[in-house]
Amino acid sequence: MRATEQLRQNLQLAWHFYQQQKQHSKERVLRWVQGILLLFIVTLSQTSASIQAYLGQNLANLLGADLVLSQPLALTASQHAELTAMAEQIVLSQSLTTTLTHNDQWQRATLKAVAEDYPLQGELRSAAFPGGPDSASSQGPAIGEIWLDSRLLAALGLQIGEPLRIGGQQLIVSRILLHEPDRLMEGHNVEMRALLHRQDLQQFRGADDIIQHRYLVEANTQQIAGIRQWHKTHLPAAQLHHKHGAHPLALFWQRTENFIGLASILLFFMAAIAMQQLSRAQLPQQQFFSAVCLSLGASKQKVLQISMLKWLFGLLLLLPQVLLLSALCHWLALQWLKAHVFAGQELAGSVATLIWQPNITLAIKTVFASAAIFFVFNLPLWLALWQCSVRQLIQQQQRSISNAVLFGCALLVLGGLAAHYSDNGLLTAMLLGSMITSIALLLVLSWLALSLGEKLSQPFSGLLPFALYMMKQRLLSKTTQILGIGLAAFLLLFTLMLLKDLGDNMAAHQRAHDGNLLVTQASATQMADIEVWAAQHNLTIRQHKPFIYGQLSHINGGLLTEVMQKPSDSLAAFNRPVRLHWSAEMPGNNRLVGGQWWHSAADNWQQLSVEQEVMTDLGLQLGDKLGLVIGGHAIEFSIVASHAYQSGAGAITFWLQMPPAALAHISAPQYSMASLELQPQQFSLLPQLWQQHPSLRMVSLQELTQRFDNSLAMVTRLISGFAGLIMLLAGIVMLSSVHAVEAKEQKKNSIILSFGLSKRTCLQLNMIEWLVTGAIAACGAIVATWLAGLLIYQSQFSLTYQPDMGWLLGILAVIITLVTTLGMLLSKHSLSCSVRQLLAE
Amino acid sequence: MTLSSASQIELHNVSQSFNHNAQQITLFQQLSLCIEQGQSYAITGPSGSGKSSLLMLMAGLEPPTAGQISYIEHGRSMPLALLRQNIGFVFQQFHLLPELTALHNVALPLKLRGEKNAEVIAAASLEKVGLGHRLNHKPQQLSGGEQQRAAIARALVFQPKFIFADEPTGNLDSKSAANVADLLFDCCRQNGAALVIVTHSPPLAARAQQVLAFNNGNCTLLAKPQMEVQDACY
Repeated sequence: MRATEQLRQNLQLAWHFYQQQKQHSKERVLRWVQGILLLFIVTLSQTSASIQAYLGQNLANLLGADLVLSQPLALTASQHAELTAMAEQIVLSQSLTTTLTHNDQWQRATLKAVAEDYPLQGELRSAAFPGGPDSASSQGPAIGEIWLDSRLLAALGLQIGEPLRIGGQQLIVSRILLHEPDRLMEGHNVEMRALLHRQDLQQFRGADDIIQHRYLVEANTQQIAGIRQWHKTHLPAAQLHHKHGAHPLALFWQRTENFIGLASILLFFMAAIAMQQLSRAQLPQQQFFSAVCLSLGASKQKVLQISMLKWLFGLLLLLPQVLLLSALCHWLALQWLKAHVFAGQELAGSVATLIWQPNITLAIKTVFASAAIFFVFNLPLWLALWQCSVRQLIQQQQRSISNAVLFGCALLVLGGLAAHYSDNGLLTAMLLGSMITSIALLLVLSWLALSLGEKLSQPFSGLLPFALYMMKQRLLSKTTQILGIGLAAFLLLFTLMLLKDLGDNMAAHQRAHDGNLLVTQASATQMADIEVWAAQHNLTIRQHKPFIYGQLSHINGGLLTEVMQKPSDSLAAFNRPVRLHWSAEMPGNNRLVGGQWWHSAADNWQQLSVEQEVMTDLGLQLGDKLGLVIGGHAIEFSIVASHAYQSGAGAITFWLQMPPAALAHISAPQYSMASLELQPQQFSLLPQLWQQHPSLRMVSLQELTQRFDNSLAMVTRLISGFAGLIMLLAGIVMLSSVHAVEAKEQKKNSIILSFGLSKRTCLQLNMIEWLVTGAIAACGAIVATWLAGLLIYQSQFSLTYQPDMGWLLGILAVIITLVTTLGMLLSKHSLSCSVRQLLAE
Repeated sequence: MTLSSASQIELHNVSQSFNHNAQQITLFQQLSLCIEQGQSYAITGPSGSGKSSLLMLMAGLEPPTAGQISYIEHGRSMPLALLRQNIGFVFQQFHLLPELTALHNVALPLKLRGEKNAEVIAAASLEKVGLGHRLNHKPQQLSGGEQQRAAIARALVFQPKFIFADEPTGNLDSKSAANVADLLFDCCRQNGAALVIVTHSPPLAARAQQVLAFNNGNCTLLAKPQMEVQDACY
């Protein structure tokens, strides 16, 4: 028979059997598992693609130039001349983040100073009064005028036409600023904004204020290539953006996507458990069917082909619903993102909007990848089918699925997923570490609880010892069930409880150790004034640490942008100048992780200690060379030590630290970070300080917690959706684990009835089993969450995790109740047993 | 065992029928009989004639369509729930739990009843059926005959007053079948339990003191001399 004819026949048979079996409960559960995961993955990839597309479009619209070069210092005359020679036109804008005050109100804002040649490309939009019609302006504010965005205007309680004093200079608020066409760099920065003339900025700026200089360049493709080359050799520390480069927010989103992707490993792990349980439940039926086919002369290949085609039909018929639902979820996610994450940009009048546009090719690719994953999960079942023979019809023996194969397949899939979504060694290791710890913990707890429980209750008789005894006998299947439920509970607790605790803890901790006012950047004069001011008002300065700014440009002689390809938090931060602290001794809130701290008398000043997470993120080793541009000069340091934060001596810590001896060789403005404790009524004294030093950067705790709460609320909403998915999957894991042992349970219950015991006994036994399962799973989940909390709080937020025991016990009770109730509901079928069934067999 | 001290199950005008495709199928009608503790009974007849249904009715596990079933102890009528605590089953497929050893399978009903010495009693029971050397073997490590012996030990270990056996030798070779039958009858006699066997095997049926034969919807109680019994009583 020709191969195509055979395939056609197999297709027909597979379709026939699929139709017959599709209403079976096990098939339905399998469809649910696959459907949920497909929905999650397709929605995630589609949303991600929309955002990347939006950011790409946004890049073109927000650059306001063909190329933008930015750095903290102004170009030297020769650099400016060289750049001008390579470009059609150059326009300079300067910006400074400062605090504006008016009467008793203050507000942090970014001041941008431009001249008459601004904007270079795109439209500068403004309005004559708040809520007024927006219009395009050919140039920015005139000298002596300032334009504020409407939020800033409201925050300072100002009106159009009123004067605003900045550092002794009086400016008139003349218009409402709506949109600047070159806001790329502030893409994910929603700070309030003001626009003024460049000359006005020169009037009041301090000598040591950091001003970001941005050169907007009009150039053709060839010129862009030339400037890019020139940038590498002449200004490696400066940032360069051009219309084919990546959006800075793209890295942020990539990171978010990767984080969710990594978290989804647990979802896949749970799905693997569910599918493994279902495979076990399906195996007898499928093996029986295969053995009958084999006894009727069919080949093994044919039997296997039919089984695979049947699975494929199931998957294909799932796709319409999944694609439709994921399109809806995709739309909802974009609406939500528009409202919460990208709201600042939409408000700013960005031309590009987040558009819902399903990407069919991507959807096909995602479905294909997911199908490959499901295929691997199903392999053990097919392997068992391949080993099946007619003999088992005669001997009534089944070949069970090898646990090694099951484990290997799950590991293969999860490893692949981890590799795909991993972008940061430490974070991946931390997430996977806590997952593996929780899995190991649940396994050990199950084994210990059941083994010890059974051992200790041996001398006693009754339902509890019997239930423990039976569970111990079914240790493997029970452990799998506990693992599934425990992981679901762990995920839920991890996502919800940690977030709740984090908010409480962070506020309390920061207040106890760091005061309620943080000076994030003060120049030497500003710091001296702060000290005087603090002494005058009887305030304590709790911490005071000096630093200079340095821009990382090279790693081991290679350019940063060329050496580092993968996005990470550290890399994102290193795209801007970072703070460099000096200290002869190891700071009290740091501990040495690797290498050796310098001796104060050491001659070699070109030494650095780098924070542990940065080392991991950038893949650095002790002995590596880092090239930093400090005060316009390139200096090479070698890494001699690695440090990590330890709590107890204040929160101000630095990623990079050098010996104090280095200061003698470096000429750059020095700044300080400090923290103070103010009484509530003393906050009204702050405008006086800001009036004196507008560029002084201070953050009050109220402001900090407000920002934190906002982010937390956003993340909580995102997590709630994720938690819903976890709960659904947890229900399915329970359902599939009930299905896997349903036949056995039914038989056990029937046998118990045949001993003359009542159905009530079966029900009680079932309840005890679910109570024990729920208790072990809940304990495991709580301990795992506690461990993960300890690990993540400490490393990510430098906080000591102190869980609320009452809350934990409450959670324990809730999980046990939920698991027992749901378990008993799901086991209803196995309780509908009778002796007649045993007679009928 | 005297009649006055024995327990008995009485069936009065019991009928059993069920609906299949909107058609009522009657298995038996107006059946009256009495199962006495210490006696042996065999139920014979073709497949689907209602033997297993009768077994379920006798054990008080299913209600009859019509008629009444009573459980009498020392001449007093007791609730059927009490009967259920005094029954044991032996199945054609043995139905031992595969994850438990022979010892633990036999100890199962005792443990469920809260017996503290469950395993000691179970071991003695297995010893009695000749499986003293197989205590820690799992069902799949035992032959069919041995599995059925373990099942008999399990059914009798909590000393029920009535044992219901459904084709207990149906899955065994003739030698094992004879051994299992000997054991079943002997054990029931020693325990003073009534034995009700459903069987297709005339020699096994012939060993019972009374035989109920199903034939074309009729159920008749055959007298023992008509069965040409070799070893009729125990």
